[in-house]
Amino acid sequence: MLSRQSFGLNAVQRQSFVISLTAFFTSLLLIALVSVLILIGMRGMAYFWPEPIYMVTGKQSDGSAFTVFANVFEDPSGGDVRLKYADSRAPYGSQKQLSEEQVESLDLIPESAEIKFQDGRRVLAIPEYIVVPSKPAQGLEKINAVMDEVALITAQIEELNTQKLAPIHEALSQFDKRGVDEEAPAREKLVASFTEYQKRVEALEATRAEYELWVSFADKSAFVIPMSDIQSVDFVSRLSTFEKWKVVFSEIGVFLSNSPKQANTSGGVFPALFGTVLMVFLMTIIVTPFGVLAAIYLSEYAPHSALTTTIRVSVSNMAGVPSIVYGVFGLGFFVYTLGGSIDELLFSDALPSPTMGSPGIFWAALTMAILTLPVVIVATEEGLRRVPEGLKTGSYALGATKFETIVRTVLPIASPGIMTGVILAIARAAGEVAPLMLVGAVKFAPALPIDGEFPYLHLDRQFMHLGVLIYDGAFHSQTDGKSASMMFAACLLLLIVVFILNILAVLLRARLRKRYITG
Amino acid sequence: MLKLFEHNTLNVDDISAEQTAVEVRNLNLWFGNKHVLNDISMRIPKNKITALIGQSGCGKSTLISCFNRLNDLYDGCKYNGEIIIDGRNINSRKINVSRLRTNVGMVFQRPNPFPMSIYENVCYGLKLQGVKVRRHLDDAVESALKQAALWDEVKDRLFESAHVLSGGQQQRLVIARALALKPDILLLDEPTSALDPLTTLFIEELMDSLKKQCTIIIVTHNMQQASRVSDYTAFFHQGRLIEYADSDTLFTMPEKKQTEDYITGRYG
Repeated sequence: MLSRQSFGLNAVQRQSFVISLTAFFTSLLLIALVSVLILIGMRGMAYFWPEPIYMVTGKQSDGSAFTVFANVFEDPSGGDVRLKYADSRAPYGSQKQLSEEQVESLDLIPESAEIKFQDGRRVLAIPEYIVVPSKPAQGLEKINAVMDEVALITAQIEELNTQKLAPIHEALSQFDKRGVDEEAPAREKLVASFTEYQKRVEALEATRAEYELWVSFADKSAFVIPMSDIQSVDFVSRLSTFEKWKVVFSEIGVFLSNSPKQANTSGGVFPALFGTVLMVFLMTIIVTPFGVLAAIYLSEYAPHSALTTTIRVSVSNMAGVPSIVYGVFGLGFFVYTLGGSIDELLFSDALPSPTMGSPGIFWAALTMAILTLPVVIVATEEGLRRVPEGLKTGSYALGATKFETIVRTVLPIASPGIMTGVILAIARAAGEVAPLMLVGAVKFAPALPIDGEFPYLHLDRQFMHLGVLIYDGAFHSQTDGKSASMMFAACLLLLIVVFILNILAVLLRARLRKRYITG
Repeated sequence: MLKLFEHNTLNVDDISAEQTAVEVRNLNLWFGNKHVLNDISMRIPKNKITALIGQSGCGKSTLISCFNRLNDLYDGCKYNGEIIIDGRNINSRKINVSRLRTNVGMVFQRPNPFPMSIYENVCYGLKLQGVKVRRHLDDAVESALKQAALWDEVKDRLFESAHVLSGGQQQRLVIARALALKPDILLLDEPTSALDPLTTLFIEELMDSLKKQCTIIIVTHNMQQASRVSDYTAFFHQGRLIEYADSDTLFTMPEKKQTEDYITGRYG
């Protein structure tokens, strides 16, 4: 007799045992959830936090001594120390893993600085002095002024390039296209002014190249950095907490607004963020009408037959199909078949190079729409089923046709249910990576899908996606190795994006619920 | 002295074609295999209140749903026979059902205002007909709400949700919604069964005042109500019209035993 007397507990004890058991598993779940958030949050934020710079002396595993400037990370698991350092052999940073015995001394160096480059690299060194054209060497206190000067020259070069050189270049290529003679006076005049502007640009560039920052490494070796390459110089060890936060925020700004650099290990993630949001947005625009119309047919018009039931069951089952299958379908059907046919019909001039027949953001959005369609259909049907029969009959009794009843009464009341479906679809689409890699998401895209060039929204372009960026950065980049902290920052951002998209949809649903309250 | 008891109601057999709002001829109706209405024939007089009484499931609600073809909504509903409204057989395929339903309004047992403002509820039917001019809508809303004796209670909050109203107010709103279309016939399917006695009395008074403009057909389970408000009463049992007469006669001197048993509460 196991049932009544199980574990020798009476009814009350048994009940409290069951309650504790369920509570235990709930708390396990909470712990798992919170640790994910804490890990991603801490590691993600740590990417932006300026780490103090130490001078580390020690012995390498082969016995030779070394001295480097480094950020020091203690391994939480053991006594090992991990260094991110820079010296004359590896000026742009490298990593070292040391056991505790190998480290001889650790000294905070207040005059050391972290110098970040425009291209995403960084150097840890002591800045010594600044070289400025036709003046004696300047002290470091002038560094901000000198950097502003350099930025001004860069802006002038930029302006000449875009305002003067580019239009002349454009006009010249127009001449060439029309077959204008090389010696034609108008063309010669243009060529002359082109050469002149080019000379001015070259002169400016030469001046700019004379601005230099001289730094020294821990082994006293000197290193020269052109000022124009520098993005920022932070004397990390001297910064107050407030100034450190300022650095963090400017880093976050760079992270959100710049392109990835150094094979997606540094720089920013703006194109990926933009691509993710745009893809989800396009997907929502496609999936909502499709899903809602299909659900309306299934629940309002379709006859109650075995076929309808079969369709309904299949739709629900489609939600369980592995996403990579949709990716393969998208590639095979949308990209090659559909895109290929469009190319043959509309862009036959450009063949054999494909226009729509290659992976792109539109095909990705369409694939994701197919993937999330079952979710929207099921949730919408659920919402439609909840519309009270009395309201529909009331509408019919006032002379409304079925269509009018659906548009004016059923859909507004079902709109919170539809929103639930859209929320689920957004959550799923924003986090999906595998199918996207087949139909348009790439490691690096040279251009955004939206720009100032007609037709502004380039649906055929490949795009970057946060998930793909994380995948690529976390597994394929050698330089940052174990820390890979930009990937944590990107993870944090992806979480925040999904969270914001969901919050927006939930708020919208709450509004609709309040507006179309029934009963 | 006898004059006092003499009613202004005619004998049902004497209702002429001009005085008839709805004429039912040999109506049979089936839901699937179930024969719900069995050979019903009756003439319902204009500008009178006709009550349909009988046990639950006797087909009286189904009958009034035939008058605006609401039974079309249900799968497996078949019917034959004729229902003549305004000289036309509404069971014919050529009938525009939407137009029929604007002419034959219906109010249900449970108040079913739409989840919109009071104003929007009343204009629902008019907007469906394409009335867009704001002034016309305003006038129609005001007059419909006045006819439904609701205007004074809601005139200051026309744009609030209809769900803030009480049950009785909601039921009057639903009546106003039907009246806004100026129907000739108003079908009431147990309109007071979900309401308290005082509100019920209020709605009954309302029916009496509406009689001038339209014919009212009411389904009710409440014997007192039927005898209080109606001019004519029809008693149904198991899909058949058992007895149909002016209410005074039916409730005082029923011809059939079944009718007498029912109105005296001896069965069911």
